Amino acid sequence: MSSSRFPIPQGTLDMLILQIVSLGPAHGYGIAQRLQQISREAVQVNQGSLYPALHRLEQKGWLRAEWRQSETGREAKFYSLTAAGRKQLAVEKNSWARLAGAVQLIFNESNR
Amino acid sequence: MNWFRRKKLENNLDRELRYHFERRIQELQQSGLPEKEAYRQAMLELGGVAQIQEEVRDVWMARWVRDFVYDLRFSVRSFRKTPSFTITAILSLMLGIGATTAIYSLVDQLLLHALPVRQPDRLVLIDWKGDQVANGFGSWNLMSYPICRDLDQQKQFFEGVFCRALTIVNLSTGSDYRPATAEIVSGNYFPVLGVGPALGQVLTNDDDRRPNANPVTVISYDFWRTQLGGARDVIGRKLLVNRHPLTIIGVAASTFRGIDVGEVPSLWIPASMSAEVIPGFNDLQDRRTRWMQVLGRLNPDMTSHQAQVGLQPWFKAMLEDDMRRPGFPVITAERRQGFLESSIVVTPAPQGHSSLRRRLLEPLWVLFAVTAVLLGLACLNVSGLFLARGSARDREIGTRLALGASRGRLGRQLLTDSLLIALLGGLLGTVAAPLAVRTLIALLPSGGIATFSGSTDGTALHANVDVRLLLFALAASVAAGVLSGLAPAWQSGRRELVSSLRERGGAAFSSVRLRKVIVTAQIALTLVLVVTAALFVRTLDALMAKGPGFPTASLVSFGIDAQRSGYSEAEGNRLIRRIDETIRHSPIVQASSVARFALLTGGSWNDPMTILADKRFSTDDVNLNSVTPGFFQTMGIRLIAGRNFDDRDISAPGERDWRSAIVNEAFVKRYLGGRNPVGIRICEGSGPDAKPNTRIVGVVSNFSYRGIREDSEQAYFPFQGEGAATFYVRVRGTGPSSFRELRSIVRSVNPTLPLTNLRTVKEQVDRSLNTEHMLATLSGGFGVLALLLSLVGLYGVMSFVVTQRTREIGIRMALGAKSRSAIWLVLRDALTMVLFGVGIGLPVVWSLGRLVESQLYDVKPFDPAAAAVAVLALCSAGLGAAFLPARRASIINPTDALRAE
Repeated sequence: MSSSRFPIPQGTLDMLILQIVSLGPAHGYGIAQRLQQISREAVQVNQGSLYPALHRLEQKGWLRAEWRQSETGREAKFYSLTAAGRKQLAVEKNSWARLAGAVQLIFNESNR
Repeated sequence: MNWFRRKKLENNLDRELRYHFERRIQELQQSGLPEKEAYRQAMLELGGVAQIQEEVRDVWMARWVRDFVYDLRFSVRSFRKTPSFTITAILSLMLGIGATTAIYSLVDQLLLHALPVRQPDRLVLIDWKGDQVANGFGSWNLMSYPICRDLDQQKQFFEGVFCRALTIVNLSTGSDYRPATAEIVSGNYFPVLGVGPALGQVLTNDDDRRPNANPVTVISYDFWRTQLGGARDVIGRKLLVNRHPLTIIGVAASTFRGIDVGEVPSLWIPASMSAEVIPGFNDLQDRRTRWMQVLGRLNPDMTSHQAQVGLQPWFKAMLEDDMRRPGFPVITAERRQGFLESSIVVTPAPQGHSSLRRRLLEPLWVLFAVTAVLLGLACLNVSGLFLARGSARDREIGTRLALGASRGRLGRQLLTDSLLIALLGGLLGTVAAPLAVRTLIALLPSGGIATFSGSTDGTALHANVDVRLLLFALAASVAAGVLSGLAPAWQSGRRELVSSLRERGGAAFSSVRLRKVIVTAQIALTLVLVVTAALFVRTLDALMAKGPGFPTASLVSFGIDAQRSGYSEAEGNRLIRRIDETIRHSPIVQASSVARFALLTGGSWNDPMTILADKRFSTDDVNLNSVTPGFFQTMGIRLIAGRNFDDRDISAPGERDWRSAIVNEAFVKRYLGGRNPVGIRICEGSGPDAKPNTRIVGVVSNFSYRGIREDSEQAYFPFQGEGAATFYVRVRGTGPSSFRELRSIVRSVNPTLPLTNLRTVKEQVDRSLNTEHMLATLSGGFGVLALLLSLVGLYGVMSFVVTQRTREIGIRMALGAKSRSAIWLVLRDALTMVLFGVGIGLPVVWSLGRLVESQLYDVKPFDPAAAAVAVLALCSAGLGAAFLPARRASIINPTDALRAE
């Protein structure tokens, strides 16, 4: 369900979110800021796909959410990784690595 | 799940997004952008907030569920805004679905529902096809008790075979005697059916071994509860059945009510006790007495066809064997042939055996078809209402289409509308159905021997709503909803987008055409119903006009059965004569007489006869009765030739044959055509050993014996020596005023003798026409309803058309047309619809007419009079419905019409 304007696939966005949250609980804005870094350098991430993704991950039980006081003093919804989410992240990282490796292999082949 | 937290979820999402938004604005402002710029930038980055919300909502709950819920709430809201539409639509469907469900309840219970026994699909009915060369009594599908026991030995095909017969007994639990229905059964009845006891035990084969040795009975659960108060100590108690004591050994399971849905027995008695239960009956072991229905349970891997084929060799061998036995009646060679060519028939019988079913099979399906047509009409009505409403929503729909809604989505909304109406109508209809069912059950003719008796045991039919009925109602509602919604949904899909937005009234002509088609279809269906109703009403009329053939004013009848009260035949006869004497001397009585069998009960004593005129020949079945000398005078039946019975005709003791007989006109016409009947010898029975020793002494005019419809050949013998009879009394004053006096007269002769079926003969006539009454009343009622529904539809369309064509009519009037032509415009439109509807409906009526032919009397399905009346009724009603809109058209002011938009 990612917007057709930005080519990052839904699965990749999910993986990135899980990774970002694994470093520590974060609210939607914070995750967006991190994703901005990525989009500045390589790929653009639609802010509009972020929140549906967050809620989907929460529905699936990979993220847990709670309302806490943020760094500005106002209340914000913080997402953190669940045990199942941690496991899923490992699985995704694994698949990503294998995919990257396979792609690299093909590139090496064609270069030879 | 998420549905209930909806509000909280929405609020939180709102907060979340707002937090994000404000943080971004802050950040942008900090980097130097002015507030307005920062705001705009943040907005652009976030993209469409509404879209984000929608996508998150999709995560919470699937899209189609949300759409459906939204459609539902939208429907409810819009319905509440137009209460008259909503109420009319719901009422229409409530009527249609309620009526269909009510009739279906009866159809299900009587025709479809299997018995509440173990694996009813393995039950079969075994019957004799061909000449059984046997005498008997009872209803249908009868065979003898020995054949049943023989079949029970055929373990290759059957797990077991039982037989049963219903009879009326005089029952006493303590003090008073009342008639009750009892079922005489072979010992293995309960085990083969797989029915167990609620208390105590059931009958087994051991109870059926030796005649008269097992005075036991099993009572029904209902009898136990209502008559014995559900007392736990009934086991071992004695009941007096025809004055014989029987010990109660058990109470049957609560759901079991016998195998005949039309007649529920109070108790079951082993066949070994049949001599006590049926006074004067000694033929239990006689192979040539047929009086029981034989049913069996097939083995697990056996089909009824296989069993039937497999049994033929055994059956043929049995036929040969039977013929060689001593006591086989003397019959002609021709009949012998017929006997040997008989075969045995095995048919599936998961619903048991019922005379009521046989009688009501066709009428019920006819009624079911009628209610289905009514439901179709109601759906068409609602369709029309929706279309009318739809054209008022043209702009809304056009706007939605312009905003990007798919036509499928809109169609779904409309379908939800109609489904909601249909489900509400169905719910209300199901709630009202039990009342309708109860009324119907009261209208139903009583089946089988209950009409012979005074028994009030009734049928196993009930008005409860069970799961099957609910499922049927649900299915009918959904079907009605879809049907009603098709036209509007299809219509909306075709609507031109631009034109619907442009004009204020909307381009609704295509919807008018569709509405006209709907009204035409309604007219056609209504014609079918009205003609059907006309046919049934004419049938009933014809039958009532024909009458029983004798005057029924102040004529009362009741039955006395002394033998059931334990008297011998001779004693019983003396009692009856004394009662007859006493009644005759009562001041309120004009005349009184006695007949062995009652008239107008649907049954009779019948037998073929042998006539010795110039040559000897035998007849087909003749309806027979024996009557006292004053019978025909009491009944007001004309004597055409010869004389009435008198003392000369009483046979001396020891004389076996009747001395005299009186026959009716039909008998003379058919068998003695031209000859002088008085003096000719006849006798009962048609075998070669029949001796025609009875002289015909008189001829009476035709009158009804079994029922109003039949005009059979009848013969009457003198009443003598019988212990049971029906009294016919012509009283002074009205019938019911004499009841008390008659009762006290009988009581004065014998206080314990019950009167059965004390009623006026006029009421008996009405009862015998119960089915016809039911058909006429119901189809008439439905016909009127159908007419109303169609008229409402017609009025709606014409009213709309006038509104639509106001400008056109105004222009015509401005150009010089008279108001008359405006009226004619509207009426012509209405008449066209009616005539088209009639044109479609008439062929349908004529092609379906064949199906109801058997229910009619003296009127053909293609009866031109009925059709003409129906067509006339529809045309005038149609014109009446169009009258108001036509008047409105005639008073259109041209300037107003042109000015208004």
